[in-house]
Amino acid sequence: MATATVAAAPAVRTEKAPGIKPRGWIGFLFIAPNLLGVIAFTLIPLISVVVLAFTDWNLVSGLGGITFNGIDNFVAIARDPGFWHAIGLTLVYVVVSVPLTVVLGLALGIALDRPLPGRAVLRAIFFLPYIVNVVAIGMTWLMLMNPRAGLVNQVLDAFGIQPGWFASSHWALPALIVMAVWGGVGYCSLIYLSALQDAPRQLYEAADIDGASAWAKFRVITWPSLLPTTIFLLVTLIIGASQGFGLIALITAGGPGDSTTTISYYMYQTGFQFYRFGYASAIGLVTFVGVLVLTLLTWRAQRGRSLND
Amino acid sequence: MPAASGPGDVVKAFQAKFPQYEVNYTRFVNDDRGNLKLDTALQGGVDIDVYFTYSQGALALRAGSGLAADLTDRVTADPDLKVFLDTEQPRSYIDNGRVKALATAREPFFVLFNEKLRQQAGVELPHDWTIDEFRSTAKQLTTGRTVGAYTVPDIARIALGPNYWYDGNRSNFGEPHFEQGFRVGREMIADGTAFPWTEVLARHLDAYQQNSFLTEEFHLWSTAPFNLRYLYDAKKYPHDFKVAFAPSPTVDGKDWNGGSFSNFIMINPKSPKFEAAWAFVKFWLTEGATPMLKGGKLPALGGVTDDQIITGMLGKEPDKYFDMDSFRRVVLEADPKLATDTRLTGFPEITLAVKQQRDLCWLGEKDPGVAIREVRRLADAAIARNERRP
Repeated sequence: MATATVAAAPAVRTEKAPGIKPRGWIGFLFIAPNLLGVIAFTLIPLISVVVLAFTDWNLVSGLGGITFNGIDNFVAIARDPGFWHAIGLTLVYVVVSVPLTVVLGLALGIALDRPLPGRAVLRAIFFLPYIVNVVAIGMTWLMLMNPRAGLVNQVLDAFGIQPGWFASSHWALPALIVMAVWGGVGYCSLIYLSALQDAPRQLYEAADIDGASAWAKFRVITWPSLLPTTIFLLVTLIIGASQGFGLIALITAGGPGDSTTTISYYMYQTGFQFYRFGYASAIGLVTFVGVLVLTLLTWRAQRGRSLND
Repeated sequence: MPAASGPGDVVKAFQAKFPQYEVNYTRFVNDDRGNLKLDTALQGGVDIDVYFTYSQGALALRAGSGLAADLTDRVTADPDLKVFLDTEQPRSYIDNGRVKALATAREPFFVLFNEKLRQQAGVELPHDWTIDEFRSTAKQLTTGRTVGAYTVPDIARIALGPNYWYDGNRSNFGEPHFEQGFRVGREMIADGTAFPWTEVLARHLDAYQQNSFLTEEFHLWSTAPFNLRYLYDAKKYPHDFKVAFAPSPTVDGKDWNGGSFSNFIMINPKSPKFEAAWAFVKFWLTEGATPMLKGGKLPALGGVTDDQIITGMLGKEPDKYFDMDSFRRVVLEADPKLATDTRLTGFPEITLAVKQQRDLCWLGEKDPGVAIREVRRLADAAIARNERRP
């Protein structure tokens, strides 16, 4: 009987010190710098996008030029082959790059978890791509993947393969996927590494006594204990990959043709090149809902499967 | 444009003549971000009185959205500016019969030859030529280490002139010269007489054509005066050859030049200093643009002597880097038909469609006919969508 317990407990006195009144707004003063930033740079743009999604607006005509057009933008999106093409490319990009990054990150994390000479240096090296400037990454890969003189094709030449990479509509997206995986594996491995160090040692000892094989230990102990980490990585990588923009803008500008026009680049083109800000906002809103659904599905898929559940 | 490439000196000269006015030149880079910054600044009430528009898409948008003052009365009343009312070879942007923007620069296209390689190949410097002769010349100039031409000039533009993308309320890409342009480009790449498009895309060469011309990777270069600045700067861009000039080739007897009147100057209608702004615009147009020559900008109204053009555009030692006879013939004495677009419906969308399909075609992934039909479909859709909008 929780209520009885509470009733029997001595009353907690919240006497105020004489002459001092509680002032709730003082707290707001302390968080004001951050709060103002969030309001100005996150909340207002977010609300603006939702509002603009129901308008026809070109920015140049100013606020007076905003024309509300109901759900016209969403009807147009449903009929827009460019939008669906961009969605398809984005899905391919996400579905291929995210699992690859996670699997390779896990393998690397497990490898780096062993007592290797120079382990700290190796970790730093693998993590480096994650913190290097996107322009430097783009320019480096652009040179490496030059179809005629790039190092990658000189190596592949030995196998008789000569991909066109960024100069081919068939190879440009795979090239971007390679770059995304290369950039993300180090980060994943580091997260996995910290999760591996929290793995329940006593279970491994018990498994050793039972004579379990390495694979059995991985399947029954390691993997379930890493599940929350994997879900966290999947969610963040899915969101990141869905928004992938920097490298595309820098290297391919959505081309050749429209072979790398992912949804975020299509949104940028529509807004900032064609000045269709209302339509671009609607694309943004639809994309947001799509990514949210994908994230929730990923989240739900793991419930009850973790070692800790 | 950086202030040091000419605008700074124009401002100085204006202030010397009109000491009562003070002018601050602020550069907004002419890319997506720079244009967006300028648009928001104009919308947000930033103190901008006069501004430039380089991109055709932005020109229509700004003029049609109340960001450009109506200059019709001023232009009509001024005998010096009568030429801006010409609609045959337009030098202004006229929106619903009202003059909203005035071109400050004349940008004729020409074809540059590397004189050393031309003489080695024993090729004549053409005084006039057709597109077929351009192709055969490129073939003659192709060697083991130098490609004949960067790319083919815009065949459709030469044949059709201004507003060539439009036919009434539809696009004009069904016109055969568009497919011919795609096809000739692709054939030249295939036979090795034009630069491989894989290299152009993989090395982002479109923005750095001058580097490959100066290192003799390709020979014929169809370009405009703004690229001449790279050709006399031996410190930054070392090379050991002179450059000669040929006019743009003709197509089926049609001789529209690929260049245009451009670099439009506009006045912000919200400017409280309209008189000062107009004084500056008029000064720039009629007497002040000489310093812009060093950035390769020929004044739209002329008003500069040949010597000023030579020293302004070709550096301190023009004879060292340029064949002056051909420069005089092609740039100073010729009066090419410049094609300035005034119909700009869906311009950014069509520009992108043309680029995307041309890339696929020139990479050898798409047949020229199929590619141009896709451009036509996309352009028709863009025109229909934009004409529906208020």
